[in-house]
Amino acid sequence: MKRGLIGWDPAELPRAALEARLAELHRHIADIGVQALVAFGDVWRSNDVRYISNYMPYWNRAFTVVSPGEAPILLCALSPRVYPWIRSVTLHETIVPSPNLVAQLGKLCTERGWTRIGVLDHAGLPYDLHEQLAAEKLEVVDVPREGVRPTASESELGMHRRSAKLARAALEAELANGAVGLTDRQVTGRLERALRRAGAEDLFVLISNGRTPPVPAGGQVFGRQSSVTVTLEYNGHWARVSRNAAGLTSPLPPTQGETVHLQTLSRAGGWEGIEQTEVAPGTVVSLQVEIGRNGSRLYYGDTCVQGRGTVEVL
Amino acid sequence: MSQRGWDLLLFYGDGWRKDLFRCLVNVSFAGPQAVAILSRNGEVRAIVTDAWDLEPVAAAIDGKVALSLRLVDGLRALLTAERGAVVAINGLEQMEARFAQAVREGSRAALVSATADVEEIRRVKTPAEIEWIRTAADLADRGYEHFVRVCEPGMTEFELVAEVESYIKSNGAEDNFMLVASGGTEVTGMKPPTARRLQPGDSVTTELTPQINGYYAQICRTLVIGEPNAAQREAYGIFSAAQQAAQDFLRPGVDISDVARVQNDVFRSRGYGDYTGPKYTRVRGHNLGLYPDELPHVLENVHYLCKKDMVLIAHPNTYLPLSGYMVFGDTLLITDSGCVSLSKTEKKLFQA
Repeated sequence: MKRGLIGWDPAELPRAALEARLAELHRHIADIGVQALVAFGDVWRSNDVRYISNYMPYWNRAFTVVSPGEAPILLCALSPRVYPWIRSVTLHETIVPSPNLVAQLGKLCTERGWTRIGVLDHAGLPYDLHEQLAAEKLEVVDVPREGVRPTASESELGMHRRSAKLARAALEAELANGAVGLTDRQVTGRLERALRRAGAEDLFVLISNGRTPPVPAGGQVFGRQSSVTVTLEYNGHWARVSRNAAGLTSPLPPTQGETVHLQTLSRAGGWEGIEQTEVAPGTVVSLQVEIGRNGSRLYYGDTCVQGRGTVEVL
Repeated sequence: MSQRGWDLLLFYGDGWRKDLFRCLVNVSFAGPQAVAILSRNGEVRAIVTDAWDLEPVAAAIDGKVALSLRLVDGLRALLTAERGAVVAINGLEQMEARFAQAVREGSRAALVSATADVEEIRRVKTPAEIEWIRTAADLADRGYEHFVRVCEPGMTEFELVAEVESYIKSNGAEDNFMLVASGGTEVTGMKPPTARRLQPGDSVTTELTPQINGYYAQICRTLVIGEPNAAQREAYGIFSAAQQAAQDFLRPGVDISDVARVQNDVFRSRGYGDYTGPKYTRVRGHNLGLYPDELPHVLENVHYLCKKDMVLIAHPNTYLPLSGYMVFGDTLLITDSGCVSLSKTEKKLFQA
């Protein structure tokens, strides 16, 4: 589960920015001729619903339902006991307890008179929900994510930048302050402390001992050939950064033919592998480079935004 | 598989439900999804979606691992090679529909969910699994000790979680499920930590659930900042008695609904029966294993006969007007004739 600070700081994400997203969604809904747009979220695939309303499904599943003329509606299986808190950190005013998400969505559609709805990345729904939805008396239109979130906006890039900056600062401080000689678990623990205190919402730390790819800590000594990869979510925006104890760096993208580990941070889940040829301008990506040195594998990388033929480190 | 006519059994895990994959291949994969494939002859293969998973998964299964950045392509390739195999899927319900469609197109029969069958196998733990859970329970004890040590007025909830996460990860946990809450009678449940600062008189509640080698154990305790008041002490007495009732009752052959009932009966006997329903609480416990909230849930309307070597937590966590939301629970291992608590933390209302 996500167990860091989940909040909403209007100074970082102004209400107007969220409302502008909604207005764009309303235009899209009109363009494609549906009465409402439904986005799915769970602990892993949390980015879409967070984008729409700032709701973070820290546990369980949810639908965010957007329809012109009213605030987005949240259908979720969490207890009503946490709804006051959810309202305080999201755009949601109406939250409907939904142990059965599709049944509740069907009921909502009946109440509103909706017969044709759009589902964001329909084929990305979990199989059980997809099948259940097919049995509802509704016309369901697939809405590709690219049509709704084509590229990262300036406010989103700013949040990814903030996330990457947090990860870099913690990693570089840790490597400069005696990580070598500790166990990889201790290094992980120290990063957990620093980054969660800094407001990380979710955090994954992987460590390479120089012989393996980055993997979860296993109790080995963190040596001079070791590298750390931090994947951090800050207010719904992911960043991934790798640094190594040897202090080796690489141009991003590399120029020497090193192995590149490329992932998009712009889809429904935290990260997803992608071929370079598929990366459209404006896509936020993780670009991690494996540097071979004296028989060891060292890692260096960062969070970047793809430009037209260029890559900018955020 | 032979009895059911399945040629292949797929174990599909994603970033949330890794357990659905790990119950066959115990690797904490780094990619968005991974699929393990069990053939009827016992062969195990895998498809991973992150290059960094190739080596650890290959080492774990000593078999063939394919990398497919788009899982749908990997599944199509698998099913093409298998020429219309009958396929069952553990985790079908969680699988993205596009992946399920790819499997269905390559299979000669309708998709079958194996989730319930695999869950039943997972419920009864092997001696090795019990040892991992015992180790996780020990870390939960030490983690809660640290929780008590660092908890102080003025600290925010998220800073407290950061301290505990750091301790638990430093001491070997690969993950942790943790909810918290702080405050008084206005607190109706736990959630992720907020920026609220702890104050004298607060009840500070937590579910602490470290994961060791894939397996979770859980402890629930409540702490008061300063001296507990009479109402907090009275509430604690009810929670303590309810948990003990479950622990005294739990043994092989009992219905899980009765494990919930004996806890709720304690609340009823003290005049708080209204607070045992879904308006104020979720469950009276749950099974533990590779997922921190395994089925069956401990509820009066859930029927399941408990078995030896199941591990579950009994926690009568709920809201009471006396104290606000309060929690109390231990990880319990069902033995031949009863159960033992794997949690060693003292049963008391803690103070900081």
